[in-house]
Amino acid sequence: MMSHAPTQGSGTSGMSRTDRLANLIIAVIVIAVAIAAIVATSDFPSTSLATDVGPARFPIIYAVALIALCGALIVNTLRKGTTAAEPGSVGDRAGRMASRVNVALGIGMTTACLIGMVYVGYAIATTLYLSSVMWLMGQRNRLLNPLIAVAVTALIYVTFSTGLQVPLPVGSLFE
Amino acid sequence: MYELDMLLQGFQTLLSQPFALLLSVVGVALGIVIGALPGLTATMGVAILLPFTFGMDPLSGLLMICGVFFGGIYGGSVTAILLKIPGTPAAAATAMDGFELTKKGQAGIALGTATISSFLGGTLSVFVLIFLAPVLASFALEFSASESFALAIFGLSIIASISGKSVVKGLIAGFLGLLIATIGLDPMGGFPRFTGGHTELFSVPFIPVMIGLFAAAEAFKAMEDPAFRSGAAALLSRIIPPWATYRRMLGTVGRSSILGIVIGMIPGAGADIAAFVAYNEAKRFSKTPENYGKGELAAVAACESGANGCTGGALLTMLTLGIPGDAVTAVMLGALTLQGLQPGPLLFREHADLVFTLFAGMLVCYVLMLVIGLSSLRVMGRILQMPKSVLTPVILALCIVGTYAINNSMFDIGIMLAAGVVGYFMQKWDFPASPVVLALIMGPMAEANFRRALSLSNGSYDFLYNRPITAVLLLIAACTLLLPLLRQFKKGSAKSEPVRGSTGQSTLAGEPAGGAE
Repeated sequence: MMSHAPTQGSGTSGMSRTDRLANLIIAVIVIAVAIAAIVATSDFPSTSLATDVGPARFPIIYAVALIALCGALIVNTLRKGTTAAEPGSVGDRAGRMASRVNVALGIGMTTACLIGMVYVGYAIATTLYLSSVMWLMGQRNRLLNPLIAVAVTALIYVTFSTGLQVPLPVGSLFE
Repeated sequence: MYELDMLLQGFQTLLSQPFALLLSVVGVALGIVIGALPGLTATMGVAILLPFTFGMDPLSGLLMICGVFFGGIYGGSVTAILLKIPGTPAAAATAMDGFELTKKGQAGIALGTATISSFLGGTLSVFVLIFLAPVLASFALEFSASESFALAIFGLSIIASISGKSVVKGLIAGFLGLLIATIGLDPMGGFPRFTGGHTELFSVPFIPVMIGLFAAAEAFKAMEDPAFRSGAAALLSRIIPPWATYRRMLGTVGRSSILGIVIGMIPGAGADIAAFVAYNEAKRFSKTPENYGKGELAAVAACESGANGCTGGALLTMLTLGIPGDAVTAVMLGALTLQGLQPGPLLFREHADLVFTLFAGMLVCYVLMLVIGLSSLRVMGRILQMPKSVLTPVILALCIVGTYAINNSMFDIGIMLAAGVVGYFMQKWDFPASPVVLALIMGPMAEANFRRALSLSNGSYDFLYNRPITAVLLLIAACTLLLPLLRQFKKGSAKSEPVRGSTGQSTLAGEPAGGAE
């Protein structure tokens, strides 16, 4: 972790611009979710029991608490000064971009596996998925990569489907 | 002493039934595997094996189920420590410090400590079950809806203590978890809340969220730098912790085990609640509470002894009162009934031989768990030797299949993936995931019992202060919640004062980004 000198004279140490922005965006999103929850509770029926608080009470309590806490987060974040980020080299910036692309691709591949499993079933979807993610993470040996993918898929199948009697998806194309 | 004589007789009977002993071994081994696999819990393991016990004699069937129960609770800690994948909800507490120890190259010691602590906690709970069952059973009867509500609030107050750097961010995560926990059927009226018409959301998808927040998020984080190879891979040399180190934790283990036993006795409260409560109390009594969350061995010991201490407590209320202490004992109640045995006070009178042989078998199960656990740790530790480029996709594949195994539902996998993405960003911006899991466990318990207690007291809120156990638990919860906040507020005030004796300017000491709120 780098040491940041505060640039504003509040006497409290600051945070980087990115962290500040992230805090504010997350707080706003959570407030929006909380408000949406409160609005949604207006459709909940009132309770027929005189001694019950009804289905809306607890969600409203939680949503109000979230709004208050996010308000506190916003206030604390704005009070902290912004630190001057150390200028990164071109290589650093390229590295950070590559990381983000890797993660985005990984999430995309996982989503594709999920969708693919519905149509082609566990065996094909998982083998392709394992092979792709291994390739993404650097395991690109043309022999080992598919071998490991098939072996792991088979091992998981034997453990869950045969050993623990958990049926795995066959796929709508093969049913 | 009657119980001791009966127990010794039970051991003799057990030794004459090798088939029952064999099934204990099978049960414990299977339980460890089931507990370690994400998505599979001890409850599912017991439910899967229940039909196999139909044709067995009562002792063999029950011992196999006990083996799965005990092994399952312990097994979750292995993957929690090595890979930050809690195999069971109780292991989510172990993962907090266990995985940090792995990152420091102390995976072996962490695993060994977890195994020994599980053994000690579980064995102590079985002894309490054997010698104190009638006395403690009456305590369990004191718990009604208001006490269960207060216990849930006490559990939720732990959020402040597991929030890490920022209590405000931890509380935001906790309340978000509480709001998510309201998705599903209203506990009193059955009205579907926030389900959008999806029947899959009628019950809180807790385990997919837990797998996503912990395991999938960690896997996505690993994708940021695939070339990085953790230095922890080589260091699984020592497994048994040094006696000097473990001796200092014995007090924590004892206290956590007793907490686990008490919580296990409370109907509806299981190993997951016991693990988090034990963690919190261990931190409260520790001389170095600031180390918790950063790889504290005593935290692992507390969580595991608390979780396994729960087993005896849960069995106590099930056997003596016929009231299941948790989900697993609810399934076991079915097993007992199928074998023609009626739990309750008469069980100890009419089937004393069988009951005490079962107790002897439970002690054997815990010894087996210790032996099998310790001897397989080096094999399981080889997981760390795998390159990240292979381990990460395998973890994700296990997450997907394990989540699917819960309800055979692709929807659950979607929930897991969404939770994984959210968890990845939470990690990135210092929002802790543990409070979300804690809230998902405790939230439904808190709301349902509050509304039940309110109905039982005819709409009066008196139950919050005129029932002693409720009042005490709520008071402890208030202290647990407010003290970390006060401490952080004081720390914030102290930092804003200028340092004297220098130039009178504010200190320029750096603070980590996203620091204390």
